[in-house]
Formats: sequence, C-alpha cells, structure tokens
Amino acid sequence: MDLKLSEEEKLIKDTAAQFVDKELIAREGEYLRQPAAFLPPGAPARRDLDRQIRSELTARAREVGLWCLELPEELGGSGMSALARVLIHREFGRSILPFRPVSIPAFLFETPYGARLADGSVSLALAFAESHRTGELADLQILYRQEPDGSVLRDSSIFIANPSAELFLFPAREQGTRRLGLFVIARDAPGVTITDEVDLTTDGTVARLLLRGCKIPNEQLLGYEYEAGETIAAEQLGLAARSLGIAMRCLASSIEHARNRVTFGRRLAERQAVQWMLADLSVEMRACTWLTLEAAWRCDQELTYFEEAALAKKRATKMAFHAADTAIQIHGGYGVCKEFPFEGFYREARLMRLLYGREDELDRAAGAKFLNAE
Amino acid sequence: MDFRLSAEEEALRQRVEEFVRAELVPLEPEFADAPDIFDGSRWKSRVKSSADPEIRRYLALMEGLEKKAEAAGLWHLDVPRQYGGMEVSNVALIAVTEELEKSAIPFELGNHVSNILYSCKGEQIDKYLWPCIRGEKTSAFGLSEPASGADPSMMQTTATPDGDYFVINGTKMFPTFADVADFVQLFARLPGTAGREGVTCFLIDTGTPGYRIARSIATIGGTEPCELVFEDCRVHKSQVLGEIGNGWALNQAWLGARRFQVGIRAHGKSQRVLRVVRELVRHEPARAGQIAATAGRFLGEIEALRALTYVGAWKADQKMDVRSEAANVKLFATELLHRIIDFALEVAGQSGLRKNHVLARAFRHARATRIVEGPSEIQRHIIQRALFREGAAALELT
Repeated sequence: MDLKLSEEEKLIKDTAAQFVDKELIAREGEYLRQPAAFLPPGAPARRDLDRQIRSELTARAREVGLWCLELPEELGGSGMSALARVLIHREFGRSILPFRPVSIPAFLFETPYGARLADGSVSLALAFAESHRTGELADLQILYRQEPDGSVLRDSSIFIANPSAELFLFPAREQGTRRLGLFVIARDAPGVTITDEVDLTTDGTVARLLLRGCKIPNEQLLGYEYEAGETIAAEQLGLAARSLGIAMRCLASSIEHARNRVTFGRRLAERQAVQWMLADLSVEMRACTWLTLEAAWRCDQELTYFEEAALAKKRATKMAFHAADTAIQIHGGYGVCKEFPFEGFYREARLMRLLYGREDELDRAAGAKFLNAE
Repeated sequence: MDFRLSAEEEALRQRVEEFVRAELVPLEPEFADAPDIFDGSRWKSRVKSSADPEIRRYLALMEGLEKKAEAAGLWHLDVPRQYGGMEVSNVALIAVTEELEKSAIPFELGNHVSNILYSCKGEQIDKYLWPCIRGEKTSAFGLSEPASGADPSMMQTTATPDGDYFVINGTKMFPTFADVADFVQLFARLPGTAGREGVTCFLIDTGTPGYRIARSIATIGGTEPCELVFEDCRVHKSQVLGEIGNGWALNQAWLGARRFQVGIRAHGKSQRVLRVVRELVRHEPARAGQIAATAGRFLGEIEALRALTYVGAWKADQKMDVRSEAANVKLFATELLHRIIDFALEVAGQSGLRKNHVLARAFRHARATRIVEGPSEIQRHIIQRALFREGAAALELT
C-alpha cells in the first residue's frame, strides 16, 4: 500500500488548488454580491457567471491543463487517470463559482464532434434521466430500431439538466434485442426540440428533450452497455469528488468562524455542541475521501469499480449536504445569506444527492443483492 | 497512490485465508454452542483454570489450533524480530485479522503481549516479556480508578519513593483478568504531581504483599473485570517499566496500537451479524424486501469502516501521528457495530434475545465496546482537538 500522492498526482492537485484559489475563490465576492441595496419583491434571480469571465476562465484552465481531462494524450490532451480527475474535481468543489472542467467521455473525442468538444466551442449534456433514480439503466424510455443506414428512434421525451448544451449523449434500448446503445445527437438535428425549461432550486435549469422522428447515423452510435456504465460511474466519481471539496470548504470556514466568534464570553470553538458537529463531519469526510479515491484507483487498475463508485457518490453527496448544513448552522445568520457560499452549497448538494442513484434505491439494490446471495 | 497489499503482505494474507478455510471454518458447527466464555479472546485467560469438562474440551480444540498455526509459521505476527516474531506491518495485521474474522471461531494468531512490555529492560525481559510472548504468563492493565475512567490523568493511586522502593497506595477498577493474571501493569503517580506529570508504570506480581484482588465484577459483556487494592504495597524500583515519571506515554501507546484492530474486528463481526439477518429472512421474500434498504445502507457503512481502518493502519506504518485516525476508527467501528446488532434484533424479534443466541451475545458484547478503551465521547474530543489544532489541513491528502 502507498497512500501518498505520487509526485505527478501532487503536481496535478496543487495546480488545481492554485487555480481554484486564485481564479475562482478570489472572484466569489463579486459573484455573490447582491446587485442592488434593495431587491424587487420575489425570489432573487438565478445567478450565472458572466460570459466573458467564463471564456477567460476556460482559456486559463486550458493553459494549465485543467480542461478536457479525459482527452487522450494522442489527441493532445493529458488523458488524466480517474484518480487525478478526482483530485481535480475535489479542488473545484471548494468554490461556489459555477465553473469546473466538464466531463466528456473519452470515446466522444473520436467522433466528428471531438475537435469542437475539445476546443470548447460546443458543450455536452448527458441525457441519462432514467439513471438518476437507481444509478442504473434498467427502464430506458428511448427505444431504437437498427436499420442499415442508421438507428430510428421511437418518439420520446426525457428530462435533461444543462439544456443549453449543443450535444446530447443518451442511452437507448434496441427493440427486440434489448441491447443498449449509447448515442450522441446534436441540438440542431432534425426532430430534436428543447422545451419547458424551468429553474431548479439550484442555479441551474431542467428542460424536456423531445425526440420526434429522429434517425441517427451509425457513426453516432458510440457504445453499448459498458460504455454507458462507465459514463455513469465517471459522473458518480465526479459528484463524489466535488462533494469532498464542498465539505473541505465548509469545514475550513466553520473551524475559522468557531475560533473567532464569541458567545456568552466563550469562543464557539470551546463549545462541545460545536466541536462535536465538526468532529462527526470530519469522520464522515475521511470515510468518503478514501472510498472515493479507492473507487477511482480501482477504475485506473481496470478492476471492477461501478459499485464502489456508486457507494462513494451516495455517501459523499449526503456528507456534502450535511457539511453545508453544519456550516450554515455554525455561521448562524450569515450561513443563510446569499453573500456567503454555504447556502449555495446546500442547494447544490441537495440536487447532487438525487443524481445518478438516489440513496434509498442504491441501498435497496445493494441490500437485495446481499440478501439474495447464497 | 496504490491500495494493493505488498507482495509479502498479500502472501501472508493468502496463507491465513487458507488456514481459516481449512482449520477454522470446519469447526464452526462445533463452536455454535460453545460456552459464552469462548466469545472474543477471553478463552486465553480465565478458561485455562477451569475444571469444567465441557470447557476443557473446547480449550483442547483451541490449543490444537494454536499448534497448527505455529507449525504453519503463522504465529507471533506482531512480535518484533529480535524476539523471534514476524514483526509484520500494521496493514498486514489488519489484512490477517480481516481473514480471521471471516470465521466465527475466536482464534488469534499469537499470544496476547501487551505492547508496552517491549519497553522492558534488563531482568524484566526474562521475567515478563519472554513468558508473555511464549504464552506462559498473562498480564492485566491497571489504569482506571473508582473516580477516574475516561480521564486517567485524574488518577489518585500514589507511588511514594522510599529508598530503593516505592510504596503504592490506591484502588484500580476494571483490569480484565487480573484475577488470573501473573502480574499487573500498574499506573500510579509520584507524590505531589498532578495531571499527566509523574505518572509511572510498575510491573507488580500477583501475590506481592499489599496487593490484593478485592473482587471480580460481572458485566453485560460477560467479561469480569476486577477491583485491585494496593495498601502500602512495596515495589522495588527495578519493577518500573520505562522511565520513572514517564508512564503517561506508555498508557497512550497501549491504547493507540489497538484501535485499528478494534476497527477490523467490528468490520468482520458486522458482516457476520448481517449474514445472520440474511438467514433469518431467507424464506420470507416480503420481509427481505422490507429490510433490503437498511441492510444495503449498513453494507456501505461496513465498507467505509474498512477503508478508514486500512488507511489508519497504513499511516501508523508510516510513523505518522494517527491519534485522530485511531479515534475515528474506534468511534465509527463501535457505534456502527452496535447499530447493526440493534437492527438485527429488530429483524429477529424476541427470539434473538434468548441468552445463548448469537445475536444476544453480540448485543451484550457490543454495548461495552462503546465505552472500553475510551468512550465514544472521548474519541470525538480527540478528533475535534486535532481539527482545531491543525484546521481543515488535518484532512488534507499528502
């Protein structure tokens, strides 16, 4: 066993940490600042990062190798290991600024869209709606029929997050054979419509992807069951890693605040109620850190890792939610203010818990597998 | 980063896996009805003086296993090389215990050697250390007192110097097996000292004038710890373990080394309890469906415990400060095991509380583990102390 970061892993982690501190956390004040002294009635508007800043950040992230993490070396990328990606996403998780390297499955770089995905001129959304409940792809709504010159999709409608993307990756089930196919389709392809976009309680939106009379050329069928499973596991590891970052930020700020804030003549840090909240949080953080790293390491070693990734995501996202909740409580009134990052983490983590496998469903599946074994 | 065991550790793990499969698993039906005393490692002490033929029969089985393990070269794993042991890493010990825990037979590869006895010097080595390694002597650990448990720095037992001797006065609570032990590792303070200062460790033979074992005390877990009384007990200065006034460090070392074993033991026991649950619902698919989510949640927690335990053991091997990790593991392990057994009893219903039922036994044992060797509250205290000392950096990767 050697649980120290290698020199290369350390370099990657430090690069990401510096980027996050200098480029993201340094901009948070401006991003979180309320636009006017008095707000109009109603809920505050959805926040988004200024386009100009986003493209500058993308350029800088690309310069230091923190973009298109999956892009293979032979295509000019860094082909980062799953472990390195976890280290990077963990750092990006520390900032509330909505900016992070987008995960693009490596097989997409070999398609005609590869170059534009790599240079950032088009963005990708995963349309894996069915996987959010169970973390698996058992009941796919989209069915397809293979014809010599392409796949004909049955008309369908599924929910997608990130509806502003130009490309959508989605799994579908072949009629008859029950084989799973993984397709990519462009937003402007015939038969594709995005409708009913609504705000989420996070600063994102959700919309409906309508597919009507779509026929997809064969080169846009990118993979099968395993590739779909890998895509889900990669998302789960990304969510787990981001959760670790959220928790690190919440813990660090809470410790700092508890050291300084005085109530009834004593610092919060001396109060057992506060000490134990943070102690319990740190226990769970340690557990989630190592579950996530080990799952990523197993992926790199080509060992089985789907169940490990699902477990890491399940625990870590819940832990991040708990971390944000704890930070809000310890920061008191400031905790719920939108000028501080904690309420944003709180809303975001709540959503993350619902992506790529809900806790109860993952638990039930793991439990059923165990109870039905010999 | 590499989560694999080294080649050497993996080879050892495989040999133990084979030993468990070939020697322990076949004995499981036999041990299903073994007396309570064969739970945990207690058979090594009090059982040996029992005349009960039933107990003698189980003891003979265990001693047979010891011989087989010794012949297979699976003995004295954690004993230093200079004392003829294998001195394997903490990680290897965890891997070995993980294998042993796959069987319900309470068998351990080696005699219990209190790790602080490796501080023995001169004649102490032949008198105490070697006999413990060879299994000829056993020791008790005298730290807690009637008025100081979780916080041993409040101990009141005194060791007053008198020429080449110390005169010991005080009462110790809860040393397990003191009644059958050959000697006690006793902690006392020099007169006029307070807190962690002046604490000194003595090796005191059973039968030394002024030292008496007042009684043994029945507990929920079935262990019978003792109350020890010292009245003007004169002990020669050659019986001091380590340095005079430097006993606090020994006490800390004794506790620290055991935490990760507690973790992996709870890991194994938790899994066995869930397997009992599986048997209980084997023919009741509806019931199995109802409890599946809870069982699944516990399986995930068991994996988390395993990860925490290996990481802590690895850090201990790197000579890093593992006080916080050790507290983490002790807290997580004992609280988890307790919750899992509680759940299992809900599934089993009242039949699970029949005194000799495997769940009832596990239930009684698990309750004590949340207290012994530092209650959960002390573990949380240790963890928060590290957090406020080091900040979030305490959780940073290196």
